[in-house]
Amino acid sequence: MDHFDTAVVLSRVLTSGVIMSIERNDRELPALERLLRKVGGRPHVTLVNSVTAGLHSALAGRRLGHGDDVVVPALDDAHRRFLAWLGVRAREDGTPAFAYLSAGPADVGRLGPLLATTAGAPAVVLNLTGLGFGPAAAVLFDDEDAWRRAERLKIFGTFDLRTMWTQTEADDGVGGVQFNYRLSPLVAACVRMALTTQGARA
Amino acid sequence: MNTDFPKAPLPLPRAEDVTDELAALDGPSIIPAGLRRTVFPVITKEDVFKMLLSTRIDPAKVVADFTEAYREYVGAAHAIPTASGTSSLHLALVGAGVRPGDEVVVPAFTFIATAQAVVAAGAVPVFADIEPDTYCLDPAAAERAVTDRTRAIMPVHVHGLPADLTALRAVADRHGLALVEDASHAHSARFDGRVAGSIGDAAGQSLMADKNFPVGGEGGIAFFASADAHARAVEYVERHGIDYGMSWIVASFGASQLERLPYYDEIRARNAARLAEVLGETGLFSAPHVPEGRTHAYNMYRIGLHPDAVGLGDLPVHAVKEVVHELLVAEGVPAREWQNTPIPCHIPFRRREGFGGGYPFSLNPAAARDYAPEDFPVTLDMLGSTLVLCRELRSPVEYERLERYGHAFAKVARRPDAIRKLVGGREFPLPHEKAARLG
Repeated sequence: MDHFDTAVVLSRVLTSGVIMSIERNDRELPALERLLRKVGGRPHVTLVNSVTAGLHSALAGRRLGHGDDVVVPALDDAHRRFLAWLGVRAREDGTPAFAYLSAGPADVGRLGPLLATTAGAPAVVLNLTGLGFGPAAAVLFDDEDAWRRAERLKIFGTFDLRTMWTQTEADDGVGGVQFNYRLSPLVAACVRMALTTQGARA
Repeated sequence: MNTDFPKAPLPLPRAEDVTDELAALDGPSIIPAGLRRTVFPVITKEDVFKMLLSTRIDPAKVVADFTEAYREYVGAAHAIPTASGTSSLHLALVGAGVRPGDEVVVPAFTFIATAQAVVAAGAVPVFADIEPDTYCLDPAAAERAVTDRTRAIMPVHVHGLPADLTALRAVADRHGLALVEDASHAHSARFDGRVAGSIGDAAGQSLMADKNFPVGGEGGIAFFASADAHARAVEYVERHGIDYGMSWIVASFGASQLERLPYYDEIRARNAARLAEVLGETGLFSAPHVPEGRTHAYNMYRIGLHPDAVGLGDLPVHAVKEVVHELLVAEGVPAREWQNTPIPCHIPFRRREGFGGGYPFSLNPAAARDYAPEDFPVTLDMLGSTLVLCRELRSPVEYERLERYGHAFAKVARRPDAIRKLVGGREFPLPHEKAARLG
C-alpha cells in the first residue's frame, strides 16, 4: 500500500474527532460498510473487530446460540473451538447457516467475484484480518432483521450509538449477552483504502 | 475538508453575563450557538509519524511494546492487550478464577459492559447498590450480596474515582473472593498512591474513544497481579479460540498518547478544581466528592444538585434537575444524565437470554433475580439529583470556555424563581421511568 495514502487517510481519521468520541464524525465505518455492500451485492453489512466476532454475529443474526445445532462451512480448529465456547454444536453435513471467506492482499482485486461465490447463503463472514491491519471482519446479510440482531450484539453497535439503546427501541427480541465488537475506525480506514487502492472499487 | 478547528474564538467571559436573563427565557446564552463545538484533543505530528513508523515494524512488536509501556506506567505485574474494554474485563474475571455458574458482585450503577463481561465469563452478575457520596460500589451492600457461590467482587471506579478498595479488599478476604477492578474510567487514578488497575487481583480497562487515555478508536487492556492469573487468561483465550487481539494500528496511536497522558491528567485535574471552586459558591450545585487518599481521573464530572440550598427544597429534586438541565443546555453547557436506570433493569438483565437459552443464568437460577429499580435506592437518588459533564474538562478545552461553563452554573443557580416557575404545572417522571439509556 502506498505510504503517502496511508499518511493522508490516517491523518484524516486521527483529526476527525472519532478517535476521541465515538459519537461524532465517524465516516470510516459507514464508508467501509458502503464499499462492502457494493462489492458484495448484499444490502446490509456489520463490521466487527475479529473473525470470531464475525462468526458470533452471523449466528446471532440468525437467532442461533447456546444449545443449538448449526451446520457450518469448513472452519479451522480455532474457529470450531470458538463455536463450542459459544455453546453451539457445529457440524458440516448440510447447508451451512453462513458462508465463510478469508481475504488477504492477493484477494482484494477480486473480492467481488469471490463474494459472488457465496450467493444463496443467508450471511457471509468475511475475514479481513489477512489484509494486515489487525483483527477485522465483516458480516454481509441479505435480511435486515438479521443485520439488526447482529448489530444488537455489539456494545456501541449501530443502535447503541444512535440511541444509546433505549428500551422502547429494543423490542426486536434481543436481550442477551453483548460484546464490544466495534471495529476501530482507524482499522476500517486502512481496510477500505487497501480495498480501493487495489481495485475493489465497484 | 471538515475541521475541528474553531471557526471563531469565544469572547472572554464578563462578570455581567451571570446576571443576564436566562437563555431559556430569551436572554443571551453564556456560550453562543455556533461556538459550542467541542474541541477534540490535538493530534500531533508525533501521532502521525509514530503510526507511519509502525508500518515498518513487526505488528506483534508494536502491540507488545505498547502493552509493556502501559503496564509499567500502571504498575501491574502482567498485562494482556485486547480489542475492547469489555473483552479486557472478561479476561480479568477469567484470570481471577471466575468460572461458569459463579456469581460476581457488581455495582448497579456502571456502564452495561461491566455486567455483560460477567455474562461473557459464564457467570451471573449480582447487583449491589452504591455509596451516596462516591457513587462507587458500597462495600457493605457488596458484602450483603455475597453467597456461597460468589467468586469475585468487581467494583467500578466510576467516572474515574477509585472505589473504596481497602474496604472491598477486606470483604473479599473475609469471604475468600477475588477482587477485580473495572478501571475503565480511571486511567491514572490513584488509591493510596497506587494506580488504578494495579491494586486488585486482576483488572480490566477500556482504552476506547471518549476515555482519558484512548488508543486508536477501540481497545482495552487486562492486568493481573500474579503469573498464575495471567497464564489462566492466556490459556483460556487459546483453548476457546477467542480472538480478542488488539490491532497494531490502535496500539501505535496508544503509544504516542501514553507519552502525553500525564499532561492530559494535569489539565483535567486543574479544570476540575477550578469548576469545583465556582460550583461551591452557587449553593445549588456541588462538585464530585473525592475522599482522602484518592485521586480522581475525571473521565466524567458528576455534579450534585441541592434545591434546599436555594429555597427549592419543597420541589421534587428530579424535577428541579430536569429543569436545570434544560436551562444549562440553553446556556450552551452540554450537560447530560449519563444513564437514568440501574443496570440490572436494562433489557439484557431482565430477559436474561445470555448466549441463548438463558445460558449462563440457567447454571445458577438462584442468582438470576428479577430486580426492581427500588432495590437500589442510592442509585435512584443519584440519578434523580445529579448531572454530568463528560469531555468538557479535557485538554484542549479553552480557559474561556471553562470559565463560561462556571458562569452558566452560577447564572442558573441565581434564578430559583425561574426554576420554580418552570417546574410548576409540569409532570416529571422519575429518570428510571423513562426509556432506559446507556449513556
